[in-house]
Amino acid sequence: MSTGNNPQGKMVFTRPKSVIRIHWFNAVSWLLLTVSGLGIVRGDLRFMPAGFTEWMQSVVGGQFNLIVGHSLYGIIWATILAAFAIANWNNVMLPFLKRVLTLTPASILTDMKSMGITIAQLFGLLKKAELPPVGRYNGAQRLLGTMILVSGVLITLTGVAMFIMFLFTELMVKGAIFRWSLVAHAFFVGLVWIGLVAHIYYSVIETPEALEGMKSGYLDEDFVKHHSPGWYDELKQEGKV
Amino acid sequence: MAKKQYVMLVDTARCVFCEACVTSCRAEWGTPLGVSRNWVRETMTMTNDGMPRLSFLSGRCMHCEEPPCVPACPTGASFKRDDDGLVLLDRELCTGCEFCVDVCPYDARYRDPADGMISKCTFCAPRIADGEEPACVNVCFTRALTFGDAKDPDSEVSRMLKQGGWKRLVTDEVDIGPNLYYSEDTVFDDSVLPKAKKATVAARVLSDGVNPALKIGLGGMVGLFGVAGLVKLAKRKQEVANDEHGQ
Repeated sequence: MSTGNNPQGKMVFTRPKSVIRIHWFNAVSWLLLTVSGLGIVRGDLRFMPAGFTEWMQSVVGGQFNLIVGHSLYGIIWATILAAFAIANWNNVMLPFLKRVLTLTPASILTDMKSMGITIAQLFGLLKKAELPPVGRYNGAQRLLGTMILVSGVLITLTGVAMFIMFLFTELMVKGAIFRWSLVAHAFFVGLVWIGLVAHIYYSVIETPEALEGMKSGYLDEDFVKHHSPGWYDELKQEGKV
Repeated sequence: MAKKQYVMLVDTARCVFCEACVTSCRAEWGTPLGVSRNWVRETMTMTNDGMPRLSFLSGRCMHCEEPPCVPACPTGASFKRDDDGLVLLDRELCTGCEFCVDVCPYDARYRDPADGMISKCTFCAPRIADGEEPACVNVCFTRALTFGDAKDPDSEVSRMLKQGGWKRLVTDEVDIGPNLYYSEDTVFDDSVLPKAKKATVAARVLSDGVNPALKIGLGGMVGLFGVAGLVKLAKRKQEVANDEHGQ
């Protein structure tokens, strides 16, 4: 990532405009795809009340339109994200993956411990507990980021599989493939939303500076120093602060 | 409330097991070999004097009052038509997932090997829309099958039902209002009695596991961070009050 001009004094350049645009595109897409997806599933398997599914279908002119619209938009969403990841692999994606992925049992445990302390501190608890060293992302962010990346891939695969089976039923070897794809699709979408509740809370209520950073691309230097000391040290070594 | 209620009456005393009903259905719908929308089954019981008593049951989708196949369908492809009580399938929405197949107590549904979609008897809905009888009724030369609108007091089925002597293929455990009636002397044995079916494992995992767990998880997170927000608000108010007090 290149360091841009610092327009407001002690501000740290954190991300280029392209990352900001893809983040907000992703956010809006998650909202649209979740609402439309919730409108599709009916009967005993629905998540929302029957009135919601009926309303959703009436908005788009019927269930067929809703299924096709949701699926096509989902494919567009996944394609744009994949294209962005490939086009920015070396300068954005790879550094992001290195920082955010938490894959070993030991790192997952450390991140879970860190997340527990962070949440407890919201309620004035464990104030003196020692947090593991925080780099650019803290434990909760790493867990959420990993979960979103893994879930996003699985949601896309199961969604595409279901759409193909919907369009070409004769291709499906067994109904069970569709059935379990639906279960996995719903599970991973719900799992991501559980994490997004925390993500939205922190960005809007606890650390609105982070939300501003996702609009402007800059963060206050003191904020970085306080919240991400490990990253601050890295930036210092690189001469960026 | 249905404006009409189509029913079929099967007088098993008249059935000779010729299976013309099955053949005509297959011809009408181009059903591939190996599957069928309707069937004739032989049932047997022993009388008190040790003699066997047989019945030939012509069967098909019962177009039930409370069809479990309808809520089992995740896309709404399986539905009960308000106008006439027929349980039908919207082929545009069918995914062939078979959630509905597994819950039918009469095993009246199957996945069509030709197109992968779910198939079943529709009481020949296109034919009755044209004022004709279902193909199986039309071809039954012994007149074992009678079809019509039970809500029309002038229909033949209304007259026959009014005369009595009919029963439905139900058990104490499974009574979902089938709209196929059999003559009262018909033998129902275990081979044809409806079986209470559990939804398929994937359906139960989703409706009884994933959905409730996600509701608890989401509710818990919203509750947890809602309280955290209130704690922060209270702290902020206290800080403001302290500042004002200090000034």
